[in-house]
Amino acid sequence: MGELKRIVPLRELTSVGFVVAIFLLVGMVNPNFLSAQNIMLCLNGSVVFIMLSVGIAFVIISGEIDVSVGATLGLAATVSATMIRDDMPWSLAVAAAVLVGLMVGLLNGVGVVAFKVPSIIMTLGTNGIVRGLCYVYSSGKWVENLPFGYKSLSQATLTGRPGSISWFFFATAVVTLLVYIYQTHTNRGRHFYAVGDNEGGATLIGIPVGRTRIIAFVLCGVFASLAGLMYVSRIGFVTPVAGMGYEMKAIAACVLGGVSLSGGIGSVIGAAMGAIIMASIGRILVFMQFSSNYDNTITGILLITIVVADALLQRRAAERARRTLLTAKTAITPEEGLP
Amino acid sequence: MSTTQSEGGKPKLSVRRIRKSFRLNTVLKDINLDIYPGNVVALIGGNGAGKSTLMKIIMGIYKQDDGDIAIDGEKADLANPAAALARGIYLVPQEPMLFPNMTVEENITIGFTENKADLRRRLTDLTAQMNWRVDLTRKAVSLSIAEQQLVEILRGLLRNSRILILDEPTSALTFDEVESLFRIVADLRDKGISIIYITHRLAEVFRIATHVAIMRDGSITLQGPVGNFTRDDLVRGLLPPDAQQRERAERRPPPARTGKPVFSLRGYSGYGFADIDLDVYPGEIVGLAGVVGAGRTELATTIFGRDIVRGGSVVLDGEDITGLSTRAVIDKGVNYVPEDRFLNGIFKISDVAANTSAACLRRLPGLFLPRREEKSLAQRFVDGFRIRVTGLDQPLGSLSGGNQQKVVIGRALSTNPKFIILDEPTRGIDAAARGDVYAIINELKEKGVAILLISSDMEEIVELSDRAVTMYHGRINRRFEKADISQDNLMAAAFGAAV
Repeated sequence: MGELKRIVPLRELTSVGFVVAIFLLVGMVNPNFLSAQNIMLCLNGSVVFIMLSVGIAFVIISGEIDVSVGATLGLAATVSATMIRDDMPWSLAVAAAVLVGLMVGLLNGVGVVAFKVPSIIMTLGTNGIVRGLCYVYSSGKWVENLPFGYKSLSQATLTGRPGSISWFFFATAVVTLLVYIYQTHTNRGRHFYAVGDNEGGATLIGIPVGRTRIIAFVLCGVFASLAGLMYVSRIGFVTPVAGMGYEMKAIAACVLGGVSLSGGIGSVIGAAMGAIIMASIGRILVFMQFSSNYDNTITGILLITIVVADALLQRRAAERARRTLLTAKTAITPEEGLP
Repeated sequence: MSTTQSEGGKPKLSVRRIRKSFRLNTVLKDINLDIYPGNVVALIGGNGAGKSTLMKIIMGIYKQDDGDIAIDGEKADLANPAAALARGIYLVPQEPMLFPNMTVEENITIGFTENKADLRRRLTDLTAQMNWRVDLTRKAVSLSIAEQQLVEILRGLLRNSRILILDEPTSALTFDEVESLFRIVADLRDKGISIIYITHRLAEVFRIATHVAIMRDGSITLQGPVGNFTRDDLVRGLLPPDAQQRERAERRPPPARTGKPVFSLRGYSGYGFADIDLDVYPGEIVGLAGVVGAGRTELATTIFGRDIVRGGSVVLDGEDITGLSTRAVIDKGVNYVPEDRFLNGIFKISDVAANTSAACLRRLPGLFLPRREEKSLAQRFVDGFRIRVTGLDQPLGSLSGGNQQKVVIGRALSTNPKFIILDEPTRGIDAAARGDVYAIINELKEKGVAILLISSDMEEIVELSDRAVTMYHGRINRRFEKADISQDNLMAAAFGAAV
């Protein structure tokens, strides 16, 4: 336990506790929610959002935002699903999907870093471009009739029986943990935090600020395309609007998991926990006898509430720091002078 | 700059013929500076003298247009901060640039590639050697400014930096903290570290520096071992060479001060200033001098209702207006022309007329904006102030700096104030426009408006003021009647030297 505490500090344990608390709360209203089968469905159903959130956490931690992940997921899914349907090797399909994510991420990164386009505008633009490409590539048609073999990947479980932890979830969890260790326990990983925390300070101690941001966008794109590959296997077909609106869920997942939109705070473990909640909101609503139509509305409300609270706290802290500084300046009276 | 400590040795850092311009503005002209191991060079100079530009060049943030920098006698190409760090240069900025959400240890060790355990050992060795106690697990956000500076210095030392640049390190420290910083600087000096110590306080120069260099208008006007100079020498180095003559030419008899002050501060305190007592009479210009960060602008913006009042009172024409909102303060008859007109002053893409009327829109009659009245108002100021425009519909952003400033002053006057605060009214504008602005200020004075003139340009204060005060560390440290106002006196008081 001591060792675990050293690797995963308090903040992350809190976010795990938060997920448990929410599940217990829903369980109090409807005990069926806490059945092993339902919990497994919630966890296994969250892999796509976890991948998206882990990727976008790189960008948010380094102080930027990416709203193109939904479209990137969609294009990666469309391209890879088409290749899989046409009996091309899966490895090629995976490579193509990753290439899509890499290109979109690179475009975002270069636009934001080299051309200084605000990231919200840059990624809103690429979101439009990439979503458009989904329609162009698929001619607006659904990609269907995928081979059973690929679809069954998402059904495979560790024990081999349905209703237990899927290999997808296991892989996602391992990836999240590896990313966590990379970000918090390696020199390069810390750069993402440094850049988001204090850009000027990062420049002064020689951290390559621009390169770090570009890498964050590229990783975000690649994670979105991996999410796309999982999406294809889980859903079994791809429409031109696949992944539309997922960016809000992924951003909300990060924020809910304690990743601050002002950069420099939070971790992918928190983001993953947020993603599990985001993926489960639909189910939670059903179990609490609400219509799942409220899903997006609730996500939006959660997002704004947490961000506003966070911003108010930060503003108060900044104002307090400014005042302390100014007060310190008047602390020496001229009579005292200097010795 | 050879001394007993450095005879025969090579300078640690040698700056040769450095020039730098931004567009047409020459910021550094032929700077030469040598620093030997164990030297503490105090670098002093007014605002815009070029100190920060020079430091940014040494730190690799800017590239010089011409000239060389050598370290240990070897030419160094400092293309970016990483290169400067690698050559052992470390800048401790005025406001420490820590990562607030990281721990002290993370803040110090970030950016290193070596093994964590080794780093930690070196760090604990370093703090033990220096006899400093720091809690490495605290978050940076919870540190005081003094502690943050200590962390910054540790960061530099862990990188084996041999040249430390301290940029106004005492500007936000308390008395005790200043003492312990001096001990640290002395320690580092004894260990052979070269230190460039930027400061606004002459007293500190004599306290801890071994050498001094004064910058004015992009040149070093005086440098050498501290022992060679007196306080008066330093003050003279800060002033333009022809200061004395011009002063005499401008001397006029003070106006007879009549009646009651229109504007009074009593024990006025807020964030950045404290215990201000000040009276301004109708038709009087009171100059307020001081260095950047002395609390002048904070005082002005607090009077103008932009920040919280912590104590004392403001009385305008017998009426207490302490702590009113900006809008109410304007209605009572106070106005403020801000220091940075680009940031706070102008509506850049709006036209001249709209900019002039912006402050008194509420007073113009009717539901819709009366374009005709707005025009006549703007025309009055354009004519009165000799503002050079092609028409009232010209966007303000396309005017020259001087003409923009006239429009901003015009706007402040459109509210018919009894008392007006002008914050650096001629910064960055050319000589001709400056003359026009001075004429406007004098006209206002004739009309009986009370004026508080904030300026870092001592010449300006001498030329315009009927009385003057200087602020130092948020307090008024000196008051001058007309006869005593001179650039010498003002400069010495602004830099905290006892006269």
